[in-house]
Amino acid sequence: MAFTLYSLLQAALLCVNAIAVLHEERFLKNIGWGTDQGIGGFGEEPGIKSQLMNLIRSVRTVMRGIGCLLAVPQLEGWKIPGPWGPCN
Amino acid sequence: MPASKRRTPVSQPGMADPHQLFDDTSSTQSRGYGAQRGPSSLGYPAASASPQAAFLADPVSNMAMAYGSSLAAQGKELVDKNIDRFIPVTKLKYYFAVDTMYVGKKLGLLFFPYLHQDWEVQYQQDTPVAPRFDVNAPDLYIPAMAFITYILVAGLALGTQDRFSPDLLGLQASSALAWLTLEVLAILLSLYLVTVNTDLTTIDLVAFLGYKYVGMIGGVLMGLLFGKIGYYLVLGWCCVSIFVFMIRTLRLKILADAAAEGIPVRGARNQLRMYLTMAVAAAQPLLMYWLTFHLVR
Repeated sequence: MAFTLYSLLQAALLCVNAIAVLHEERFLKNIGWGTDQGIGGFGEEPGIKSQLMNLIRSVRTVMRGIGCLLAVPQLEGWKIPGPWGPCN
Repeated sequence: MPASKRRTPVSQPGMADPHQLFDDTSSTQSRGYGAQRGPSSLGYPAASASPQAAFLADPVSNMAMAYGSSLAAQGKELVDKNIDRFIPVTKLKYYFAVDTMYVGKKLGLLFFPYLHQDWEVQYQQDTPVAPRFDVNAPDLYIPAMAFITYILVAGLALGTQDRFSPDLLGLQASSALAWLTLEVLAILLSLYLVTVNTDLTTIDLVAFLGYKYVGMIGGVLMGLLFGKIGYYLVLGWCCVSIFVFMIRTLRLKILADAAAEGIPVRGARNQLRMYLTMAVAAAQPLLMYWLTFHLVR
């Protein structure tokens, strides 16, 4: 049951990657979650669905830059010194 | 900022200066000592017959000392200026402005929140009042101390079962911190999705989520003394208390406009917020059980 900070970091990285690889044209448009299909009016406050779509779009934008740098330690298999857990 | 937020301006007779977080404990003694160290920046005695005096009187080493001390002072200035960018030190100081009475009352509130009537935090000129003046304000002292005590009590419990080894302590600490981080991230994500306009900051959230360690410590200690029966009884009591505490506290933060009138919540938006509050409060007992059941055999 070794739920350590490092495993949390790994899990978060995998989740963010999963969100980032959702393809805009092939997938999101087909289930009605494309970014050009959701922009409602300005007066009403956004519902959960448009918030989620915004989140997916921003994760994709961010991952293309900084996120790839953050993934390098995991991909390269670097050992980060510290009491992170037995899997490190 | 929602216009319907209630601000209760307060002027209590006991509050000397509302913006002063801590008591001024400087005394003339420290000032006198400071004056004694006057001339040299490093505080060395000016001239003495000791053998070190010859070394210190050498002009080159004097200059080196002066240069080194000025470099250190510059570095300290740089750190002080920039530390606020990474760790909000001034904001953190607010959460540690506690005194014994506050800690006592808050612990009582955590174990028995049923009789407390007014849960609203008092404001003083648009900033929340420091915890030592208002028992409803969140603080980080109790969660931090409770976390460390939980690690120690976990080590004690493992030791009584002959399962102790030093790296297990680090593992317990890491595990508890990981669950706390996961909780904070999950709640922040759901607050973003439900578009709640709230003044609940991240540090506030960490403080509220850290209060469950107090109940966990109580449960594990009772489990050590009285076995499984004592553990389940005390943990059950603390779980219900934390549940009620969290609901009553978060209701004012997340459901601000509905709670102000005291009416039962209607409408899809308010219902969603109510569900969110209940989910956050329900996660506390679950985590309390999950993090302690393996310590009591």
